[in-house]
Amino acid sequence: MFRQTFRQVARQSNSVVRRAYATEAATASEALKLSLALPHQTLYSESEVEQVNLPSINGDLGILANHIPIVEQLRPGLLEIISKGGETDQYFVSGGLATVQPGNKLTISAIEAFKPDQFDAQSVKDLIADAQKRAASSDEAVVAEANIELEVLEALQHVAK
Amino acid sequence: MATLREIELRLKSVRNIEKITKSMKMIASTKLAKAQRAMVSGKEYGIANAEVFKNAPADEPAKRKLIVVISSDKGLCGGIHSSVSKATRRLINDPESGIDPSSPIMVIGDKSKAQLSRALGQNLSLSFNQIGRDIPTFADAAGVADLIIKSGVEYDSIAIVYNKFISAISYEATVVEVESEEALKESAGFKAYEMEDDVTKDLAEFSLANAIFAALVESHACEQSARRTAMDNASKNAGEMIGRLQMQYNRGRQAAITNELVDIITGASAL
Repeated sequence: MFRQTFRQVARQSNSVVRRAYATEAATASEALKLSLALPHQTLYSESEVEQVNLPSINGDLGILANHIPIVEQLRPGLLEIISKGGETDQYFVSGGLATVQPGNKLTISAIEAFKPDQFDAQSVKDLIADAQKRAASSDEAVVAEANIELEVLEALQHVAK
Repeated sequence: MATLREIELRLKSVRNIEKITKSMKMIASTKLAKAQRAMVSGKEYGIANAEVFKNAPADEPAKRKLIVVISSDKGLCGGIHSSVSKATRRLINDPESGIDPSSPIMVIGDKSKAQLSRALGQNLSLSFNQIGRDIPTFADAAGVADLIIKSGVEYDSIAIVYNKFISAISYEATVVEVESEEALKESAGFKAYEMEDDVTKDLAEFSLANAIFAALVESHACEQSARRTAMDNASKNAGEMIGRLQMQYNRGRQAAITNELVDIITGASAL
């Protein structure tokens, strides 16, 4: 079940805190700082962005500036990064962890992230058929691995055109 | 000194060794370039991973630490393995850190395993090998983290001992701490984070794999740079030996020729 949740914390004006969920004041700069790190590549390192949409296991989240600190586990899906100029960058991630730190920083650790146009829809179909065959095996470990593959591949199928 | 024949044999063998060390140096140089590039991304990844621990430090220092020592199976790389082993011994025997001297140690790499089993053999609980032949991948780190967690060893925090890359010619043994699930839950800073379901266990396990990955990649780069330096020194030494032996050989050869000439001339003048 998907739940579109857009959490927005009110921006802090000069001297008055209109509404704050966290007790500490966000005195850092107003823009959200995104760090998206993969083991073999760093995609974003403390870059200022407008909004980030995360595919989390509990639903999709949109993170804006001054979000309260959260820890979210990501499910295989599309990560959208909307920069200050309004352009949207999309990456398909196979899973990972997203943390909003106190101080307006969003840190995403993912193992793999690729742009949707780098995928070939036909290969995805072939891989799904292969994984489904293995999911019917009798060995528990093989079945578990195949099910994880299917989870990622099925999410990928929606993304790869 | 030795006969001409012996010097000649020695000269041939040192020349071969010089060729080998020179080629090992070249290989280590190219591997170092690749390893350094991987290390840059790996380090960023490790820093991103450590953000949560920076904001949620453990309230009290851990008593029972699990020490993970990162080295490799191959030698001929200078003091890499002994630096990490020494740092581990210092860490365990340090009275101020309050660490339990019977803390379990897990070693990645046969060379350090041999050194530590002599000094702290009773602490060794698990060892890994065949890691570090090539640039470490996240799959290696995840496998190690998985086995550590499955082993069921009890700990309050994990201390990863590895070689930190300072420059292309210097490295230093460093310790990085990863908190366990319980320490995170009890930390005051951690309560600031809101979570839907309890992801603390997943966070702790994922962070462990990430920290091990960052340490593996950096250690690998240090090892390549140390090997290059060591082979460079060995080639220089071999070159010097070749020069000396060549001098000896030439002097010996000229002495033999002079002796023969003296024999011939005295023989001829006796007639």
